Amino acid sequence: MMKNIFIKLGSLDRRIIFFVIGLSVLIPLIKPEWVTLPVRPKIHSQIVFDELDKLKAGNKLLLSFEYGPSTKPEIHPMAIALLKHMFAKDIKVYATALWADGNFMSTDAFAEVSEEFGKEYGIDYVNLGFKPGGEPVVRGIASDIRTLYDADLKGTSIDDIPMMDGIVNIDNFDFVFSLSAGFPGSTEWVQYACDPKNIPMSTGCTSIQVTDIIPYVENEQILGILAGMPGAAEYESLVDNKLREMGKISKPGKATGMMAAQSIAHVMIVLFIIFGNISYYVTRKKSREG
Amino acid sequence: MFSAEILGAWLVVLLSLCIFSYLYNDNPFYKAAEHLFIGISAGYWASLFFWTQIQPNLFGRLWPSRIVTDDGSILKSIWYAIYEILNFITTGFGVLNRNVFPEGGIGEREMQLSYVIPFILGIFMLLRLVPKFGYLARWAIAYIVGMTAGLRFYSFLNSNVRMQIQASAIDFTADWVGIINALILFIGTLTGLIYFFFSKEHKGTIGTLSKIGIYFLMIKFGASFGFAVMGRISLLIGRMNDLKDYSTHEYYYATPIILIAMIICLAIWAFMDKGKTNKDSI
Repeated sequence: MMKNIFIKLGSLDRRIIFFVIGLSVLIPLIKPEWVTLPVRPKIHSQIVFDELDKLKAGNKLLLSFEYGPSTKPEIHPMAIALLKHMFAKDIKVYATALWADGNFMSTDAFAEVSEEFGKEYGIDYVNLGFKPGGEPVVRGIASDIRTLYDADLKGTSIDDIPMMDGIVNIDNFDFVFSLSAGFPGSTEWVQYACDPKNIPMSTGCTSIQVTDIIPYVENEQILGILAGMPGAAEYESLVDNKLREMGKISKPGKATGMMAAQSIAHVMIVLFIIFGNISYYVTRKKSREG
Repeated sequence: MFSAEILGAWLVVLLSLCIFSYLYNDNPFYKAAEHLFIGISAGYWASLFFWTQIQPNLFGRLWPSRIVTDDGSILKSIWYAIYEILNFITTGFGVLNRNVFPEGGIGEREMQLSYVIPFILGIFMLLRLVPKFGYLARWAIAYIVGMTAGLRFYSFLNSNVRMQIQASAIDFTADWVGIINALILFIGTLTGLIYFFFSKEHKGTIGTLSKIGIYFLMIKFGASFGFAVMGRISLLIGRMNDLKDYSTHEYYYATPIILIAMIICLAIWAFMDKGKTNKDSI
């Protein structure tokens, strides 16, 4: 009886599996109150938070946007939480983009957060925008930012932007943060800018990149890592606590709300893998028995 | 009223559902969305690269504004005559407005004639489209390969080789958990490298060590697969979240309306296709 069930499960139409996964994602999104799971920050997210929290008012952060709409659900919540954290601490944010789509992401993120924290363009933050080229761009920022950027994203000459005064190259920044979804991204910042110039950096990246970047994290070439949506949710919770401590009220982050859907989908996938394997062994045993 | 935002939301829903429809089967909705995506991406990238790189950084350095560079020499006048010829071509022989090559030059940088080399190499690259001169593209490719190798060599050696070798050394002054971790890392690195050492047959000790290396590699691939699944689910959540947001009255019920319309169209298409297949088989 059980054997037959497992054999039937093994030949299940793939569309049923897609449908079940779709439902397991959709239901927690429609009814978030049905599933509430706690978010506990892991060590790497905590390191990112601690390192950024060490920055003092007036310090300069170079924030690079290397993602686009396709990876927005994973990385954009990190960008929002990071800007809240930095703006709450009065840190100057300089945005660049190694991906063309990064322009849209940075514009969107600044628009969402700057008004809430009363930050002014050109004084508290600046968006230098996208430059094509990848590694040479990172190298250019490391050696002489002005050979690359004449003007910011809005077309204003960088000589007319007050917070660009005295900014020559990466040595003028206190921290680099790469919001990365692939190439060019965090690896290039490590190799061409932060390792040679010894500038502390951290990253928030897509889940798929984590295993490639983790050797740099273990060796402290990158200080901590926000790994995919769980990393974003963990960082959001840390920033929320910090803002509460500072007496600032902010809208809750998006990643935390999506974690229930993520967890349930993972449980479903694990169950499918277990059933699939049992089914495979039962089918193989049956065919051997003839 | 229908605003640009609502129109955008309807497009987002339509294109998302078109792509999702592939999970059922290959169909015209999916094909249309796929072609649209590729076409728009190619056009967007070409335009973006031209206006952010080629026009300001290449042409802008070769022909900066004459106010900056003009010293009244004949050579400069000849040089800017080439600029005017290029302008004449790009404006469709004077029919269109001048955009690429504005009056008097581009930007206010210093003239850098060394940029003629990348300009020529860029033209060589395009000559790949002309079979007779296609071989010239190899020069440009050779330059790119050589330059990239040189650029990457030091950085890779420093960040990925030297510092990673340093990191895999065992620190015996650490606590016992740290020593065990470092030991596992060391064994994993060594056996993983042995697995990729093909100059000696994988037999005996080398065979055993390479087998251990396989286990470490499998753990790595397993972790990568796990993270890949996690990433894909995150993206699915993002899409689902948008579809949920756009299913409200505020967006005129975009998701349910498009979903139902698409299901009806797919059902009709499947029915017609089935009829066609049966006819073909007869």
